[in-house]
Formats: sequence, structure tokens, C-alpha cells
Amino acid sequence: MKLSEIRRGKKELTERMTLADILLIAVLVIISISGFIFIKKAFPQGTDVKIEVNGKLAYKLPLNSDATIAVKGINGNTVVEIKNRKVRIKESPCPNKICVYQGWIDRGAIVCLPNRVTVFVDSSEGKENKAIDAITG
Amino acid sequence: MQSQDKYRIALLSAYAIAIHSFENLLPTPIPWLRLGIANIITLATLVLYGFRSAMMVTLIRVILSSIFIGTFLGPGFIMSFCGGVSSTAAMGIIFSIFPRLFGPIGLSLIGALFHNAAQLFITYLLFVQQLEAILLVTPLLILLGTITGVMNGIIGRMLIKNIENRAPQQ
Repeated sequence: MKLSEIRRGKKELTERMTLADILLIAVLVIISISGFIFIKKAFPQGTDVKIEVNGKLAYKLPLNSDATIAVKGINGNTVVEIKNRKVRIKESPCPNKICVYQGWIDRGAIVCLPNRVTVFVDSSEGKENKAIDAITG
Repeated sequence: MQSQDKYRIALLSAYAIAIHSFENLLPTPIPWLRLGIANIITLATLVLYGFRSAMMVTLIRVILSSIFIGTFLGPGFIMSFCGGVSSTAAMGIIFSIFPRLFGPIGLSLIGALFHNAAQLFITYLLFVQQLEAILLVTPLLILLGTITGVMNGIIGRMLIKNIENRAPQQ
């Protein structure tokens, strides 16, 4: 390396911050703050309610708008209710009603095996919340 | 390599090891959060004596201090080694190609950034195979890296000035 060249540059270097320094700081701060915002938006809770019947996606609804829908399973209609960013199975034709007793959820899934209806909450990218629970816990 | 360089590298490595070991004793709120103050020595070495000396100092510092602390060849050593080497390499390459572009603060930031990037990569490869988990901590690491990077850069700049004023120009 050319030492003389470095020496010349060095005098200026130690005097003040260069424009590139300031730009670099600004870019890094912007990246990290926008990263925080992105993560807050994308990760902490699911954003979508997906309802599968017999393993096939039947409905995809946003979690933040209230709705009540009847999902046709193999034994009849399962009524799914979305309210206050939570979702539950309100009525089900299945014999044991485990899915109804599970109550309101805002993450994870409710599975009604007899009627082959699965309700789960996740983000738009189709990732499950398992990974997030694992590291925040 | 001249004997004068050897003495210099030995002295700087000794400082770096001392700082690194001291830093290891400091309690941190999060286990993997490090201030990276040993990077100040690497930074000063790079600016004053060039890339090769800086890399030597980093290698000596990482290997010897891990032997002293007792983490040699453990996971902490692998993280520290990869982080140190990649941050020194990044700072050195940037400084060699564009010697005037970044000051010590910018170089320190680049070092911190690459240190974090390398450690996240190693974490992903060795410990946590979940991209979401890695992505989740990335903004926090970038922000903390920026803060400590600027801090180290300012101290590094003071150190460089000080050494320059004391040592006569050769």
C-alpha cells in the first residue's frame, strides 16, 4: 500500500467526519428503524385467517375486520366468527365440540377433525407463528 | 517484515487482548451484545499501519484472548473469530480501495456491520436454522452496531490523532 498517499489522506481523515460517514450513519439508522417497523407489521401477530376444509384452502380473511361465515365441512356447516382481531369457531356439527370450547385465538390454529375444518391465523407470507414464539419465549 | 513492525504488532496486540479480555468481564444486558471496543485497536492499526498489520493484530487478539478466557475452539470463539476476521477484512478492503471516502467513524461502522453480519450468518449456520428468528433480531443488531460503531469510531479517531502527534513522521 502506498504509505505516502495514506499519510496525505489521513490528515484530512482525522479532522472531521466525511460526507460518506454521515451518509452511512443515516442509511444504517433508516434501515434499522424501517426494519423495526417492518417486523412489527409482519411478525408479532398473524394478519390473516385461513380456513381449510379437507386440507384445501377454502377461505382467506383479514383478521382485523369482523365477520361471521359458515364453512361447509363434510358433516355440515362450521360457523367461524372473527371479532376484535380474534377468531373462534362458534358452532360446529361435530359431536365433541372441542373446536368450539377452544374459544378465541389470535395465533395458532383451531382444528375440527370430525368436520375436517382447520382455522389458522398467520401472516400474509404463509409462515406459521411457531418460529416467532420460539425465540420471543 | 521489519522488526519494527513486529514490535508494533506485538504491542498493539497486547493492548487489544487486554481490552478484549476486559470487555469480556463487563456484564451486558443481552448475552451476545458486545461493545466491540477491541475494534478500536484494529481500527487505529489499519489507519496508521495498513491492512496486513490490522489483520495480524485481529488474529492474534482473537486467538490468544480466547485461550486466556478459555473459550478456544468453542462456539463463542467461532463467532468471535469469524466476526473479527470479516470486520477487519471489510474495513481493510474499503480503506485500501477508497482511502479518502470514510473517516475512522465510517470505517468503524463498516467493521461493526460486518461483524454483526458474520455472526448472524454463523448463528444461522450453526445454531438457529430459522430465518425468521434471525431476521427478527437483525434491526436491533444494526441499531446497536451503529451506536457502538460511532462510539468506537470517535474513540478510534482520538487514538489515531494522539499516536500521530506523538510519533515523529518516518
